[in-house]
Amino acid sequence: MSLVNFTTREITCKIVYYGPGRSGKTTNLQYIYGRVPEERRGRMVSLATQTDRTLFFDFLPLELGSISGFATRFQLYTVPGQVYYNATRKLVLQGADGVVFVGDSQARQLDENLESLQNLQANLLEHGIDVREVPYVLQYNKQDLPRDLILTPQELDDQLNFRAVPSYGAAAVTGQGVFETLRAVSERVLRKLSEGAPA
Amino acid sequence: MRRARVIEPWLREPLERFLGETGARLALLMTPAGQVLAQYGFVRAVDVMAAAALGAGIAASTGELARMLEERSFRALNHQSPRHGIFLAQFDSPRGALLALVVYGPDSSIGLVQLFFEELVGDLAQAAPPASRDAPALAADFERDLNGSLATLFR
Repeated sequence: MSLVNFTTREITCKIVYYGPGRSGKTTNLQYIYGRVPEERRGRMVSLATQTDRTLFFDFLPLELGSISGFATRFQLYTVPGQVYYNATRKLVLQGADGVVFVGDSQARQLDENLESLQNLQANLLEHGIDVREVPYVLQYNKQDLPRDLILTPQELDDQLNFRAVPSYGAAAVTGQGVFETLRAVSERVLRKLSEGAPA
Repeated sequence: MRRARVIEPWLREPLERFLGETGARLALLMTPAGQVLAQYGFVRAVDVMAAAALGAGIAASTGELARMLEERSFRALNHQSPRHGIFLAQFDSPRGALLALVVYGPDSSIGLVQLFFEELVGDLAQAAPPASRDAPALAADFERDLNGSLATLFR
């Protein structure tokens, strides 16, 4: 849950990148880390296995600057995508103010995307959160792969975007769609905050 | 005097007393989700957040292990290296469950930290004001600020 301090005029929000294994959640954060000026970001923390698969989470704090007179910070987290790590995935989701679902655009990964979406819904419910209430956007990553291997954003919307939330085609390796995704989820999180409802 | 940086003023006095008694080098008070409420000793806000995320992650995973073992919870953890010790503990306060992460050097000890941690918990319980519900924080037209900030981030 976001932390708003009226005395020091600071806001801190937690955004979680969710999705199946190898869909590109960590790559999103790595791209952001590489592009953001040093004074606006902290150390990127990755708790990964020896083969660089996320074990617990990646974490990247960002200083957004002043929004409506509040010094605004975002904490970006990824979850481990592999099915095996559901217990830790659930823990990272605790207190999330917004969620980015990073799907894998490859046609053969469609079932994994669906399974991960269902898992997101179930894990949010365990924290007492209805997925319809949490600010959330979809990203269809790996759109840079050959056309015959992937589904288009429109096809993926038909299969995955049940709630018609904003969705973005992306190639996180080159940065395509990464900024747009972050911008969209940031706006939704802050909009919820501006409406005064618990985020 | 060891000046702590606090998000909520009622945390300052108990934390600074704890710091003075224990000689701790770094201290963080945070929510179980890793949102920082008070800190001492960190230079950059973003480093504070990284430490809080790691501390909250440790507490969450040990809490989950406790649940699997049908324990109430592991109340405190201590890690010791030749130069530093790390003390991580969850406690209840009138404002809900909180976490404390304390880093101390050879000039202090786990015994000292544990002893004064009990006092810190008591002092915080006494100092906590009743929870209040704040008005919405952001102006309705925050998008312009957000666009400007994000554009600066991705120059």
